[in-house]
Amino acid sequence: MSDVTCKKFILDLLVDYEDGTMPAEERALFQQHMELCPPCLRFLTSYQATGKTLKLLKPEEIPPDLARSVLAFVRSRAGKKT
Amino acid sequence: MKTDGSAAPAEPSDLDLVQRIKSGQEDAFEQMVDRYHARVYSLSYGVLRNAEDAEEATQDTFLTLYRKIGTFDESKKFFSWFYRVALNQAYSRARRRRPASTVPIEDYLPRFSSDGHIASPELPDWSASIEDGAIARELAGRAGEFIADLPPAYRDVIWMYDVEEMSTSDIAETLEISIPALKSRLHRARLYVRQRLAEISQAPAQEEVSR
Repeated sequence: MSDVTCKKFILDLLVDYEDGTMPAEERALFQQHMELCPPCLRFLTSYQATGKTLKLLKPEEIPPDLARSVLAFVRSRAGKKT
Repeated sequence: MKTDGSAAPAEPSDLDLVQRIKSGQEDAFEQMVDRYHARVYSLSYGVLRNAEDAEEATQDTFLTLYRKIGTFDESKKFFSWFYRVALNQAYSRARRRRPASTVPIEDYLPRFSSDGHIASPELPDWSASIEDGAIARELAGRAGEFIADLPPAYRDVIWMYDVEEMSTSDIAETLEISIPALKSRLHRARLYVRQRLAEISQAPAQEEVSR
């Protein structure tokens, strides 16, 4: 599969490479392309950095009384004890 | 992500709790709130990007659970059903605040020459900058804004997978889409966010180089 292009690499293969579902043989070809293609390697690096950045997006803290406020809200709206 | 209640033998499964709630056992509803309030809040926060709105959406979600649990089909996975309830609550609140976005995602996807090589303008490699925690948090905040602008079909998937770190099977079941469709949406959403982050990182990266 020496005709693997950047386009195929980025649009078709990258997501399978990242989630680990790419077959071993295809993975080897993918990595070979990466070694030979600096633009694709840069693209891969920033794609992975995007994923790492997104993992920081969870709210830093959950309101400490949230569970209690949820129960109070439901009980008041439901019109009876839950 | 663990949602099947198999983590510890003493823990009741989601289905156990559902059945007990349906039979009117108050403590089961309290356990359900205890089990899922943080996750519902996190999801709501992702859609609404505001702590007060997220808390109110979380309350509404559990009220809906209380009122609608009788309609839950016990042959299905509870969390997938409940996550959808939570998503709908968050979107309903979001729609009241701002109109649906129509960001042209295609404009931010990479471009290629006719021979298949990258043709997009070269942007500085910003990936090393996330080693700095403050920069990483700043970029994450901007990424959240970019995700919020995405059409819901993309926004849901990237939030669930990359932020909430849900499994593909759970996401596919929740959104009622195939795994290939999920992966396609996820990839395009990531390409979009990557490009937006690269663009806003351009100036700081150049300043860093010149120091």
